[in-house]
Amino acid sequence: MNITNVNNDRLGDEYLACPSCDLLLNVPMLEDGESARCPRCGQFLTTYRANELSHVIAYTASALILLVLACSYPFISFKFSGLESLMTLPGIALRLMYIGMPSLAFLVAAFIIFIPALVIVLILALSIALKLEQQYSWLRSVGRLIYTLQNWCMVEVFFVGVLVSLVKIGHIATVIMGASFWAYGAFSLFFVLSLSGLDRVQCWRRIEALQP
Amino acid sequence: MNDVPNKMPISAASKGLASCHLCLKLIKAEHHSCPRCGVAMHLRKTNSLERTLALLLTACVLYIPANMLPIMITDQLGQPTESTIIGGVVLLIDMGSVAIAAVIFFASVMIPVSKLVMMFYLCWSARNGPPETIRQRTVLYRITEFIGKWSMIDIFVVSIMVALINLTNLLVIRPGVAAIAFAGVVMISMLAAESFDPRLMWDQKESENE
Repeated sequence: MNITNVNNDRLGDEYLACPSCDLLLNVPMLEDGESARCPRCGQFLTTYRANELSHVIAYTASALILLVLACSYPFISFKFSGLESLMTLPGIALRLMYIGMPSLAFLVAAFIIFIPALVIVLILALSIALKLEQQYSWLRSVGRLIYTLQNWCMVEVFFVGVLVSLVKIGHIATVIMGASFWAYGAFSLFFVLSLSGLDRVQCWRRIEALQP
Repeated sequence: MNDVPNKMPISAASKGLASCHLCLKLIKAEHHSCPRCGVAMHLRKTNSLERTLALLLTACVLYIPANMLPIMITDQLGQPTESTIIGGVVLLIDMGSVAIAAVIFFASVMIPVSKLVMMFYLCWSARNGPPETIRQRTVLYRITEFIGKWSMIDIFVVSIMVALINLTNLLVIRPGVAAIAFAGVVMISMLAAESFDPRLMWDQKESENE
């Protein structure tokens, strides 16, 4: 595979401009598993995997189930001088709201539950439609939403935050991880896999191919 | 007009072509919206440097209350103790958990500060930067774009502590105002990174070559 800078103003699937440095490129058809980078600045451009959609459907479906589980069981509980206190995932936002910080409650809930949940549902719907090669009028809007919202999902950041808190609280009291903790950990793994599995360029080419 | 490799790099803009920022479709620059995904089309991000600088300054201003005001208040037996971001890091070192102190220090101080500095440098360099370093500067931009949201770790840690440590009259943790200010710093600097257009640096290099 040879990605070259070209000197013409033709349009077509084999031409791309590097989003980082605007170099005009001819990216030939990629083989299964191959990926393309900009030869001038190293920017990742696209990758092609023949069975990408089946993988993404499996990842998103698992992520969705895990997120439902993560919201319905105790996340972490904590024992101190004979007293016990228990936290659930939605409970984080509810507690912040109750204590008088609705704006923080809203942001935390959006970044760790609502936006990721929306993105996962949208990716699942889009990849099923693309897998079945069915044209729907919502494909374009869903694709736009996915790629606009994906920077605002902080699932993996939150999970690192959870690990840091565990160590912090572990100093003063006994901490017990609940079922939700493990479910959210697995969710963050599948979430990252779903996002990185759906290649931007290939996904939009598939949407375009279905347009009437 | 062939697909032969060129000695002089050819940009899409110089051929009257624009790339959609959302779906990367290559189209004629006169289009107002992308025919494939429907978003508004621009050859370069609109007022990129002005917007980025305005957002960066806002983030800098918000960073002051984020550090001066308490981020977390611990009520132990009714006795409130306020702690700032730096205060929390110092407390963690005193308690002996240097690794966690390092993570919090890295996420809440190093990343936001270095991100702001790097973004200011990138904005300045888009017009005046040395052309030899352009590849490194492009990589620098990709790093700032990637690390932005990791600063939220401290906000999440505070939220978890608040939700979990809730033993009425004995031990209660409340969030401080700095938590909102700091969340603002992180989000605004993420927007700043989004509105910066790295292609401006390459445009400047090309105009110098001519």
